[in-house]
Amino acid sequence: MRLEMGHIYIKDIQFADESKIQDGVLYVAKEELEKTALEDEKIKGVSFDIARPGESVRITPVKDVIEPRVKVEGRGGVFPGVISKVDTVGSGKTYALKGMAVVTAGRIVGFQEGIIDMTGPGAQYTPFSQTLNLVMVCEPVDDIKQHDYEKAVRFAGFRVAAYIGELARSLTPDETKVYETCTIKEGLEKYPELPRVAYVQMLQSQGLLHDTYVYGVDAKKIVPTILSPTEIMDGAIVSGNCVSACDKNPTYVHQNNPVVHDLFEEHGKTLNFVCQIITNENVYLADKQRSSDWTAKLCKMLDLDGVIVSQEGFGNPDTDLIMNCKKIEAEGVKTVIITDEYAGRDGKSQSLADADAAADAVVTGGNANEVIILPKLDKVIGTLDYVTKIAGASEETLREDGSLEVELQVITGATNETGFNKLSAR
Amino acid sequence: MDSYMILTNNPLAARKLEGRRTVCYISVPYEELLREAEKKICQGHRLLSHPLSGSVKPKETPYKSIMLSGKKEEVDPQSVRMIEAAIQTCEKFTDRQKSYGQEVYEDFQLIDWTLLESAMESADVW
Repeated sequence: MRLEMGHIYIKDIQFADESKIQDGVLYVAKEELEKTALEDEKIKGVSFDIARPGESVRITPVKDVIEPRVKVEGRGGVFPGVISKVDTVGSGKTYALKGMAVVTAGRIVGFQEGIIDMTGPGAQYTPFSQTLNLVMVCEPVDDIKQHDYEKAVRFAGFRVAAYIGELARSLTPDETKVYETCTIKEGLEKYPELPRVAYVQMLQSQGLLHDTYVYGVDAKKIVPTILSPTEIMDGAIVSGNCVSACDKNPTYVHQNNPVVHDLFEEHGKTLNFVCQIITNENVYLADKQRSSDWTAKLCKMLDLDGVIVSQEGFGNPDTDLIMNCKKIEAEGVKTVIITDEYAGRDGKSQSLADADAAADAVVTGGNANEVIILPKLDKVIGTLDYVTKIAGASEETLREDGSLEVELQVITGATNETGFNKLSAR
Repeated sequence: MDSYMILTNNPLAARKLEGRRTVCYISVPYEELLREAEKKICQGHRLLSHPLSGSVKPKETPYKSIMLSGKKEEVDPQSVRMIEAAIQTCEKFTDRQKSYGQEVYEDFQLIDWTLLESAMESADVW
C-alpha cells in the first residue's frame, strides 16, 4: 500500500469572516465552526478559542487532540467509519495540517483529565504545547447521559477537524513524504536479508472514557488483526479515552504514531516493516487470553523476527502487555515493549503491575507519579473546577498562590507509550 | 462456562444487578475489597475480570467491581498472582476516597459500572 502524505505547515490561526488557508495562516469563521459542531442536537453550545505556543494559557480538561487532514486522492476519506464511509484507507494522497491541532475540552464526568500548558514547566512535558491549538469546549443539552455527551464531543471534534482539513484540499503541500509497504511475498523477495519486523499496538478498550475505535468499531469487540501502517495516517484509529491523560493516545498520536514513522524510516535499510498488528486491552480475562494468543499466532504466521509492542494505559493493561510479550517470545519472535511507570512519587516502587523474564527489552515513557509544580497561568480554556479531582491530583493540588502541585499523570501525553512525548533519560 | 459472581463495593452496580446476578456487595474501601477478593480466590474462586480494570487509579476511585467464578475449584495460581499484584499496586496510591462531592461519587460509580458491564458482555457470550 502506498500513501503520499502532503504536509502543509500552519504558522498561525486567526478567527476571520471566511474560512481559508493562505500563506500558511489558517483563518476560521467561528460561525462555520459552530455550525459544524452543533450538527449534533445533543450539543447546545460550543465555544472556540486559540492557544498558541508560549502563551500563558492552560487548557483543561482535555478530551482529545486531533490533526486536521484531508484525503485528496485514493479510496475513502479521513476517519473512516466515523466521519467518512468505511472504505479501506491508507493509499493515495492525504494532506495534513502540520503545526496545529483541534483540541476538545470540557466536563463529561466530575473528575476530569488532561492539562496542556502552553508555557512554563508543564509545557515541557506535553507535545501539544508546541502546536497551535484550536480549542473547542462543547456544552451538552440538559440531562444528557455521560455516554451520549462523550460521543457527541468526540464526533464534534472529528467533524471540526475534517472541516478544517477540507480547507487544504486544493493547496500545494510544503513537503511530501511517501510511505509504502509491500505484500508479504514482495517483502520476502525484496529484502531477503533484512529482519521482518512488525508493530503490535495495544488499544485501550474497557468502557466509558476508556475506549478506542477502529474504522468506527469499538476496539473491545475486535480480535487482533492486521493493518497496513498507512491506514492510521488517514484516521483509521481514533481515540475515545482520556482518563489518566499522560499515557493515553489522543487521535493525534494515532495519526502521527512515532513507532510507525520510525519503522518506516528504517524500512528497506535495517529491517523489513511487515505490518501493524492491533489488539485490545479488555476487562474480561478470557478476552485478554484470546487477544494475546491471537497476537502471538499472527506474529508466528507472518514469520516475524521481531516486534515492537506499545501499551496504552497502566495497571490492567500491564497484564495484556506481559501476556503479549511472553507469548510472542515463546513463538521465537523477539520483542521490545514500550510502557510507562507508576513507580511512586519517589520512584522507588515496583513500576508495573505485572512482569516476566521474557520482557528483557523495555522502553519506558517515564514515571507518571513524578510530582511537578505548575505555576498559575493568565488564562484557562475550559475550567479548573475539576483539577483537584483528576488522576494524580488531590485537595492540596490547587495551592494558595494559584499554582498546582500535581503528578505527571495529569498532563496530556507526558508519559506516552508510543514515544510521542518529551521525556528522555541520559 | 461456570456461572459468575460479582464482588463489589459499588452501590450502583449492586442496584443494577439485584435479582439478576449473584452479587456480593460489601461497603468497604477499595483495598479492603481487593482483600475480600483475595480471600475468595484462596477459597477456590477464580478471577474472571482484571482487578485493576480502568484508568481511574485505585483509591482515587473508591469503587471496584470484580467478577469471580461462582464455583469453587482448586486454588488458581494465576488469580492469586494477579490479586496480590493488584493489592501491591493499590498500596502505592494515596487514599483520596473521602474528598469528593456526591456528584463525583456517582460518576466514579458509573465508570466502574461501565467497566464491569464490558466484562459481563464478554462473559455472557458463553
